[in-house]
Amino acid sequence: MSAWLAGLGREGLATWSGLSSAVALMTRALASGFDGGRAAERAVRRVVLRQIFFTGAQGLPFITATALVLGATMMLQIHVAAPGMPGEIVGKVLATIVLREFAPLVTAIIVASRSGTAIATEIGNMQASLEMLGLASMGIDPSRYVVLPRLVAVVTSVLVLMVYFGMLALVGAFSLAAASGTPDPAAMRAGLADTLALSDLALFLGKGVGCGAIVAVICCHYGMQVKGSITEVPLMTGKAVIRSVLGCVFYNFAATLAYYSAVGTPAAHL
Amino acid sequence: MLSRQSLTVVRGGACVVTGANGVGKSSFLHLVAGLVAPDEGQVSIHGLAASSAHPGAFVGAGVRRGLVFQQGGLVANLSALENVALPLRYHADVLGLTEGVIEERARFCLGAVGIEGPQVHVLPGRLSFGIAKRVAFARAMAIEPNYAFFDDPDAGLDHENAGVVHDILTSYRDDPSVTLVLATNHRALIERLGIPVHELVNGRLVRANMETMPPTSLV
Repeated sequence: MSAWLAGLGREGLATWSGLSSAVALMTRALASGFDGGRAAERAVRRVVLRQIFFTGAQGLPFITATALVLGATMMLQIHVAAPGMPGEIVGKVLATIVLREFAPLVTAIIVASRSGTAIATEIGNMQASLEMLGLASMGIDPSRYVVLPRLVAVVTSVLVLMVYFGMLALVGAFSLAAASGTPDPAAMRAGLADTLALSDLALFLGKGVGCGAIVAVICCHYGMQVKGSITEVPLMTGKAVIRSVLGCVFYNFAATLAYYSAVGTPAAHL
Repeated sequence: MLSRQSLTVVRGGACVVTGANGVGKSSFLHLVAGLVAPDEGQVSIHGLAASSAHPGAFVGAGVRRGLVFQQGGLVANLSALENVALPLRYHADVLGLTEGVIEERARFCLGAVGIEGPQVHVLPGRLSFGIAKRVAFARAMAIEPNYAFFDDPDAGLDHENAGVVHDILTSYRDDPSVTLVLATNHRALIERLGIPVHELVNGRLVRANMETMPPTSLV
């Protein structure tokens, strides 16, 4: 029992230490954005655009397929579990489950599994091959040249991809409803419009920025933990992805709780 | 790894750190170049405390560091030419360089170490060890360093290219605006440079005894 408690304590301390380092890394990266001249800004902007292309644009096909199928699956489950459910209620369910929960979380998980692994692996390799020290020797701050562009790119990409995911998931759900003839798509649209409010924009933005930052910072942090051997890279990459996904799941739950505390209980809202 | 030590290299001065394999020459060089922070004590370059200074602050304060690692250090997703141009582009406004000058200087530095033609557009991962090392040398030269740090600068180079590198090191040694620190146990290079030699033994720096160093036949 005591060994178990000691293990739990060690894990807790390690998690706290990792979290503090990750937050410190994010703070350094954000603060570094205000350093340096315009030439440095141009160089960093080039890296940001490359990262947005990789995370955002190249991730589109995967997001498209996942969102369409997930939306259609959701509709199929409603057909099976609650046949005859009024279209307006179905619209409300889609708004709360698909737009408020699935879109941010599934997008963040996809970005973590695709770009997060790439970020942790790339930075880990850069550490092992002395690229980071090489950058510092040239007067280039790795927090600015390596971490900041990835942070900006992942946050931007998650935000845009979330919107895209939500829209396509709705297309999937409405397509299945239209194909099966029930429920009435017009009623579904009314339910959807009735549920969504301006406060959803704040929730959407909060979840997108939060999940994007969690994925980027945790993956950069674990990449930076590689000290000298390339064999550490896969180990750190695995940790990075698992912890960033866990971080997003908990953050998503906390953001939902905070949202309903602010605007009213889910039952009242539905 | 290192005991309490004090080493001063005056501006425009030069020194060699030597020692057996694995004794910590590379770590020592990274420390004096201000790339890693010491557990205790202080490293000062050009009056700046290296451990607390922001990497960009060095360039702003007039410190242009050129550093060649024993291996690696090049940015993997940039071509040889882009690698050499990177510090120039990043600090273009501080150094007062235009894009035309940057490209010209990067190509000149690559040419000085014998890299020309299509090779300049190749990524480091596709270059041989010797060529990648010369690209690293060109990158260190491009910024016109006033503080130059070299870790085993001629290791892995053929006779001809090692000679080119030795000539460059000699020119840095003779340039009063360049402070030169290099780590090597290549006796012929040390003898050619004729600068103070410190040997790293059990974490301590001692004046090297050239008589006990093994002879080499490379150059």
